[in-house]
Amino acid sequence: MSLGQQLPLAIGLRDSATLANFLPGENAPLCHALQQDSHPFIYLWGEGGCGKSHLLQAACHREESQGGRAIWLPLGELLGHGPGLLEGMEQMDLVCIDELEQVASSSEWQQGLFHLYNRLRDSGHRLIGAGNAAPAALGLTLPDLISRLGWGPVFQVQALDDGQKAEALRLRAEGRGMSMPAEVANYLLTHGPRDMHRLFALLERIDRHSLIEQRRLTIPFVRRLLAP
Amino acid sequence: MTVALWGQCVALLENELSPQQYNTWIRPLQAIMDENCLRVLSPNRFVQEYVESNFRSRINEMLGQMCDSTPPTLRFEVGSLPAANAEPEQAPRKPTSSDNQDKQSSLRSRDRSISTNPDCTFDNFVEGKSNQLARAASVQVAENPGSSYNPLFIYGGVGLGKTHLMHAIGNRIQQHNPKARVVYLHSERFVADMVKALQHNTINEFKRHYRTVDALLIDDIQFFAGKERSQEEFFHTFNALLEGQRQVILTSDRYPKEVKGLEERLKSRFGWGLTVAIEPPELETRVAILMSKAAQTKTELPHEVAFFIAKRIRSNIRELEGALRRVIANAHFTGEPITLDFAKQALRDLLALQAKQVTLENIQKTTAEYYKIRVADLLSKRRNRSIARPRQVAMSLAKELTSHSLPEIGDAFGGRDHTTVLHACKKVAELKGTDQMINEDYENLLRILTT
Repeated sequence: MSLGQQLPLAIGLRDSATLANFLPGENAPLCHALQQDSHPFIYLWGEGGCGKSHLLQAACHREESQGGRAIWLPLGELLGHGPGLLEGMEQMDLVCIDELEQVASSSEWQQGLFHLYNRLRDSGHRLIGAGNAAPAALGLTLPDLISRLGWGPVFQVQALDDGQKAEALRLRAEGRGMSMPAEVANYLLTHGPRDMHRLFALLERIDRHSLIEQRRLTIPFVRRLLAP
Repeated sequence: MTVALWGQCVALLENELSPQQYNTWIRPLQAIMDENCLRVLSPNRFVQEYVESNFRSRINEMLGQMCDSTPPTLRFEVGSLPAANAEPEQAPRKPTSSDNQDKQSSLRSRDRSISTNPDCTFDNFVEGKSNQLARAASVQVAENPGSSYNPLFIYGGVGLGKTHLMHAIGNRIQQHNPKARVVYLHSERFVADMVKALQHNTINEFKRHYRTVDALLIDDIQFFAGKERSQEEFFHTFNALLEGQRQVILTSDRYPKEVKGLEERLKSRFGWGLTVAIEPPELETRVAILMSKAAQTKTELPHEVAFFIAKRIRSNIRELEGALRRVIANAHFTGEPITLDFAKQALRDLLALQAKQVTLENIQKTTAEYYKIRVADLLSKRRNRSIARPRQVAMSLAKELTSHSLPEIGDAFGGRDHTTVLHACKKVAELKGTDQMINEDYENLLRILTT
């Protein structure tokens, strides 16, 4: 019998990204800045899995909960649509552009983003950008865009240390109604993947299996799931 | 009912779709009920088409399950609810076709984007050697629009204050003559408006609009490149305005003749009035700019902190502001006063990044490229001036930008003695004061290496 057939309907519950379920660690000033509407532009950067996409989606969530309209644009998946996708986006109260490094080889996209930036400024709306490097190191060729990315505060998203990662795992598990003992969190950190993306994906898998098998989270249980 | 019905659809979709799909395609949508039709509004036609082809049947299915009686019909459109009214069902917008919606929303946003920004004035434009001439010319134009320098063409690198000056002129003109029609817009807006006018068959209205203003301020005209139809229209607008003694002000990232993809007749006309350059600001101006920006946000910024930031951020004013905003953001978070240590801590990622880029190898490579010589020449024993001068400049840069000791720098430059490095630093410091060319080279290299 396949996994899906055993599951009740409500099982598709997703962890929606919010600022409340992001463990700030060293990123507390950044989280604070994301909760202010006073910055028209913010840029954040860091290595993969450090939480950039979560933060951008959380910013969208926050904007919407305040009655605003927001969109998250992860460029890696959207490049194929062409920069026309950015038309009219200045109507949004907040536009979050993720994976800016993806447009390094497209001058059309860079121009499109530059023009969107100007239109958002003219409309008094906000933009939060993110990439895997600081603006000048993204490999962009349009200086106008590079300098605009650095106009607001620029934050490097600091990766969590192991203690903070364990806490983030426990926090996320709690959000899903699971109680994760500290030793299980530590076991996952030493035996599971290192980046938070994959750790959270693993957590989702553990959650599904614990529901199906009606098991609490114990080391033998997660060890079995981690086995190849 | 609309809010509840659409809200339920959205909640279900959030559970069913990946966060990527939800945040990109569903979150930006709005909905409104028109009789028994649920109109789903997208920001543009790309989103509309994607949503319609991927989610229409699922949304229909949901509506069928939610409604006891006949579910509403579903229509996908481009548009948005009026911003002032958050309650969708209270303010239905009249136009129903996506074309009309598009036209309306473009007109609404255009109104906001064609006026000058009142925050940019001559009073809060910090003057320095680098922008003195441009500022003086701008004041002159603002006092005598249409009759002193026409057009005024301001050019320079990104983030140096061209747009600020442009707005300041527009604001001053309107201050003297509140009835003056001053239109500021980015070149992209001009192109977009023209394309819309052609689509909607309102090109005559477009022409009349732009040819009858008192002052037309167009930013970043280099983005006209390759857009021949827009260039032609702008050419006629330009002539009409000049003939009517209306003021035209243009900015670009380079000298008119060097703008690529622009018709010759436009380039030559751009040079008819006055062309002025804005250069990157020198250290003292950068400090003054930071102090002024801090004062505008009522932030207490000690002089030594302004000096520290200005010393490290040399590229342009926008990045200078970005660094200041980062320090202020941290101060707001912690509630602590801004001190030198505080600023160093707040900017540590930025400084670490700079330090990473500024290695001895990178200084040698960049200097060699700048002077069009080989790195091997810099490291060689050759002592003719065309090699020795760049070598001295590179050594001096290494002393200023890295924490390497004099013997380490000497070693990296072909095993030279530390006294040679010391001599190079002294020589370059002396030449910077007496030789404008060396000074410029040195400042350019500093900027390249620290951007």
